Amino acid sequence: MKAPLLELRGLAGGYDPIQIFQDVDLEVPHDRAVGFFGPNGHGKTTLMKTISGVLEPWSGDVIFEGRRMNRAAERGSRRWRNFNYDAIIPRRMDPKAVARAGLIHVAQGNLLFPEMTVEETLSIAPIAAAGRAGGAAETKRRRDEVEALFPRLAERRRHKARYLSGGERQMLSIAAGLMAAPKLLILDEPTLGLSPRLRGELCDAIRQVRAGGVPLILIEQDVGFLKELIDVLYLFDHGRISRRLTRDEVPSHDRLMAMLFGERE
Amino acid sequence: MSLDTLLVVASGGLVLGAIYALMASGLAVVWTTLGIFNFAHGAFIALGAYLGWQLSHAEASGLGLLAGALGAVAAMFVIGVCFHYALVRPFERKANIVAASVITTLAGAAIIENGISLVWGPRSKQMPRLAEGDVALGPVVLSASDLVLLVTVAAILAGLGWFLGATRTGRSMRAVAQNREAAELMGLDVPRLYAVSFGLSAAMAGLAGLFVGSIRFMTPTMGADPLMKALIVVILGGVARFTSPIYAALIVGMVEAYSSYFLGLYWTPAVLFALMIAVLVLKPSGLFTSHQRTL
Ligand SMILES: Nc1ncnc2c1ncn2[C@@H]1O[C@H](COP(=O)(O)OP(=O)(O)OP(=O)(O)O)[C@@H](O)[C@H]1O
Ligand SMILES: [Mg+2]
Repeated sequence: MKAPLLELRGLAGGYDPIQIFQDVDLEVPHDRAVGFFGPNGHGKTTLMKTISGVLEPWSGDVIFEGRRMNRAAERGSRRWRNFNYDAIIPRRMDPKAVARAGLIHVAQGNLLFPEMTVEETLSIAPIAAAGRAGGAAETKRRRDEVEALFPRLAERRRHKARYLSGGERQMLSIAAGLMAAPKLLILDEPTLGLSPRLRGELCDAIRQVRAGGVPLILIEQDVGFLKELIDVLYLFDHGRISRRLTRDEVPSHDRLMAMLFGERE
Repeated sequence: MSLDTLLVVASGGLVLGAIYALMASGLAVVWTTLGIFNFAHGAFIALGAYLGWQLSHAEASGLGLLAGALGAVAAMFVIGVCFHYALVRPFERKANIVAASVITTLAGAAIIENGISLVWGPRSKQMPRLAEGDVALGPVVLSASDLVLLVTVAAILAGLGWFLGATRTGRSMRAVAQNREAAELMGLDVPRLYAVSFGLSAAMAGLAGLFVGSIRFMTPTMGADPLMKALIVVILGGVARFTSPIYAALIVGMVEAYSSYFLGLYWTPAVLFALMIAVLVLKPSGLFTSHQRTL
């Protein structure tokens, strides 16, 4: 049997010394999209950062395409806590290795590089795809696809990221993620705080990305939009996956909130 | 006082400004990417000068000035990378990296300066002049040596600008400087880019050292004075971008040249520090900055 695309086993993590989530077990099959839904501040973003390696996992494993991305070691013992020379005590997880394996995380509210232009940003984004997905011709093809997906970005090629609107920045983040030839794309609240029109544009783009066959982990607050795209929805609260729902089982927003916070008459 | 005198003083100021610009940009490269201040930058200057002397001088290896300079700059790049791995990298994941690196880079400076004393002895040395003769540019007569210096510095700074703006590695360095987490998520090799920044910065310091060695006597602590000036430059100009110290460096160079000529050498530091305090009071982020820290 083929290993799932991404598998989490008993993953726990947080911001030292505060643990944010624990016991997260999850499988993302090939060619599927899964969604996360849960209240604010309960650790969805922290979980995603741990999957992509910018935060070190405290325990548990992250397995991508059958390959364990983290080192076996548990969280460092007290004695060695302050002695963190990479050569002697390596990081438990290397975000570079995760990105280069094709697990691309588009962070929540990602500002990318404020003083770099759209053009410059997109020119370094394929670094994560180096040695994995084609050469110059492939990169060029991706670039054309991305520009077709986000015509606004093509118009603002020479603008610095800090002069872009919130929606355009979000588009740039996703575009940069796509330039990295993702095998699995994590989108963390891509439509947060956008005007309805921009939101519509962005949702269309994400639908197209999904239709193009890119597996997704999508975190969203809009249940309708989630339901359109995902095959499985995980409810996440208090740092745990509290429920797993297939697409057909996903109820309305109000029912979902009731599930999370308990019934109220 | 004639116009000629003013022009001669101005050309001296220009030369000083160019050297300070080279130093301050080197400091800025490390500050903007790693977010730490490298107190060993002055020691890098001295080491670059001594290595250049060793390789080029007739009494030593005798490779000639050009080969010696290239060798010294290349060696400084490697030394910068090693310095980073030994003295900065171990503390990289600590919360107090800024404070830790003050101590470690100061320690590194002491080790390098005393190492120079051990190897080359305390007697001062001098680099040969970069070129002989004078060049007349309209009414201004510059020594060929100064002209070589100015052209080289301009070329290096332009080259640095091109490297940071147009090459993949340069753009990646800027990316890491502006948003480390996003750069990590993009799969950039952050530790390697940090090492490259340090190497680049040390190479620029080494080159500045060669220039300082050609206009002043070389001693193991010869970097202290230029480092202090570069600090003033950095405070005047801000290091938000690597270009902002360049203008400030020219101002400091000019002020130093004119005040040394008109007020006397001993007043120059006082004038410069007064200028610095005024800028700190009036525009603490630096004269030429409206941006956040970035390469
Ligand atoms: N850098 C940090 N250091 C310490 N604690 C943090 C940090 N970032 C977030 N937290 C805390 O971690 C908890 C989980 O935050 P997280 O951003 O993962 O939640 P979330 O589920 O993504 O919320 P949202 O829906 O608002 O994006 C919060 O209580 C937050 O205060
Ligand atoms: Mg979040």
